[in-house]
Amino acid sequence: MTDAVRAVRLRKTYGVASSAVVALDDVSFSLRRGSVAALLGPSGSGKSTLIKALGFVSPAEKGQVFFDDRLVVDDGVAQTDLSRLRRQHLGFVFQKANLTSFLNARENVELACELGGKEQGRRRARDLLSYLEVVNREDSYPEMLSGGEQQRVAIARALANEPTLILADEPTAALDSVRSRSVMELFRKVAHDRGAAVLVVTHDHRALDVFDVLYEMEDGRLRPYRGQGA
Amino acid sequence: MNLAIRDVRRRLARFVGTAFGLGLLLSVVVAMQGIYAGMVDDATILTRAMHADLWVVQRDTHGPFADGSRLDPSIEARAASVPGVKRARPYTYQVIQREYRGDTMRIALVGLGWPDDAGGSLPIVRGRGLAQAHGEMIADASLGLAIGESLVLAGEPYRVVGLTKNALTSGGDSVAFVSVGDAELVAFDQPAEATQLERSRTVDRLRRTDLGRTQPSLEDLLADPKWRAPALASPPLAAVLVDADAHRVAGVRETMRSWGDVTVYSQDEEETLLLGGVVQRARMQIGLFTVILTLTAAVIVMMVIYNLTLEKSHDLAVLKLLGAPRSRLLGLVLQQSWLLGVIGYAVAYAIGELFYPMFPRRVLITSTISLVAPIATFAMVTLASLLGLSHVLRIDPARALEG
Repeated sequence: MTDAVRAVRLRKTYGVASSAVVALDDVSFSLRRGSVAALLGPSGSGKSTLIKALGFVSPAEKGQVFFDDRLVVDDGVAQTDLSRLRRQHLGFVFQKANLTSFLNARENVELACELGGKEQGRRRARDLLSYLEVVNREDSYPEMLSGGEQQRVAIARALANEPTLILADEPTAALDSVRSRSVMELFRKVAHDRGAAVLVVTHDHRALDVFDVLYEMEDGRLRPYRGQGA
Repeated sequence: MNLAIRDVRRRLARFVGTAFGLGLLLSVVVAMQGIYAGMVDDATILTRAMHADLWVVQRDTHGPFADGSRLDPSIEARAASVPGVKRARPYTYQVIQREYRGDTMRIALVGLGWPDDAGGSLPIVRGRGLAQAHGEMIADASLGLAIGESLVLAGEPYRVVGLTKNALTSGGDSVAFVSVGDAELVAFDQPAEATQLERSRTVDRLRRTDLGRTQPSLEDLLADPKWRAPALASPPLAAVLVDADAHRVAGVRETMRSWGDVTVYSQDEEETLLLGGVVQRARMQIGLFTVILTLTAAVIVMMVIYNLTLEKSHDLAVLKLLGAPRSRLLGLVLQQSWLLGVIGYAVAYAIGELFYPMFPRRVLITSTISLVAPIATFAMVTLASLLGLSHVLRIDPARALEG
């Protein structure tokens, strides 16, 4: 399997001069298609900054990001239309489901299909909701769904464009342990069934066995996870 | 998938409520324009209805509507004798106020030069013109009089024989047309008390002169009815309307200009005098008021659209993160603005249809207003959406990733 995403020597700083905080300090990272990776670390360690850099939302000032072996960001400068890249090849799952409030569950997924250029969006949205076992709530608006249902719809939305890379930022923070594990297993299933690369930022150590690769961040540096207390 | 419609559907009651409010505001803006147009039309309809080539009035006055004008009746014959004149008609104009059926009735009473002018050129919608010199009246329908109904003026009954539509003055008073003779009777009608007071003043003046002191018997003459005739044998006219051969109007005008006691205006000049003098201040007032109202409406729409956009900030950030093209998000705001404008205009239109006819002053929705109002509304809501659009552009998609 090829690398879905590869980052080389990323550096990102917040603030200036003496108050500057290094959020990413010479971070290099790669993730293959079909694999699911966990990114752990304390708050403020730089996890979300890395997610934003890999998701082409807030590029790092230094370093390169390759997507499908194609240089996409070079020293903070976009080499292609990043919006198009996000809508066609990336899927996002957030800590809160962040579904569009004025669209029902099916329309949320259908819109992502449409943005990703997928045909038969309505049917595809129903299939994905069915795959995630929430098709019975397809007409419900986000506020009518439970936290777990919202997160499943959000995952369905992240899958709508058949992404190469799924980035999930603490997707189980609002869920109990049973549902949390269920969601993590779902990511593994998606990665293995659909060949997507999945990177999950998490604080939850109870479901780490689900992941193929484990990383942790501390003070802006990335390293392989050494286990709790290491 | 149309995001604007989906968002409106989700917040339907609030959106429709907002659009209804905008509609009320727009209806006021359109009403102001309509009142202005009605005022201009009312101001000029009286001059246009007379179909005169030239208006001869008292020298150096802007009469008879914008200014007082008193012409010697002999001007009529003098004007008729000018080569090229087809017809010269006497014309009087006065505003009277009477109590009728318990209500106050204001009438702009116009005297027509019957039999030459029986009111044939007037916008008569029911009945006929004047068929006799005395006791008949053509009234505007807005006075509420019916054909055959009689109105008593100066002690004489005037039977309504014809009804006009929208024959109003610039002040909004309804117009009634009678013969010049009848109009003069109404104008110079004096109650007995006034006659006695005038006689008493005359006796006083007589006693202050040598003649009165040396010949007291002259006072007896004042009691004789034949000496109590009005001081003026013929009351003055307000104007003389002249119809001339089409190719000789300019020549006729030049001839009359050489007379020392009159000023001559063309039909267009007479209208300009009315609009420039009588209506100008009201026009400016309404114009300024309309501008303020339009700006107010624009600011309100701007804030409404900005708030609608602000409420969706997080949704918009998520959509940006998902890669929604900028044009699609801007389209969401623009389409909602336009929808707001369309519903608002429809509400304003419906309000106009229902309520404008009930306004005390005529609200005239001209074809220009009908054309400009929707275009102006469209432009206004488009401009008003700029603040919302700039907010969309400023939204950082990274915001969606923050808790």
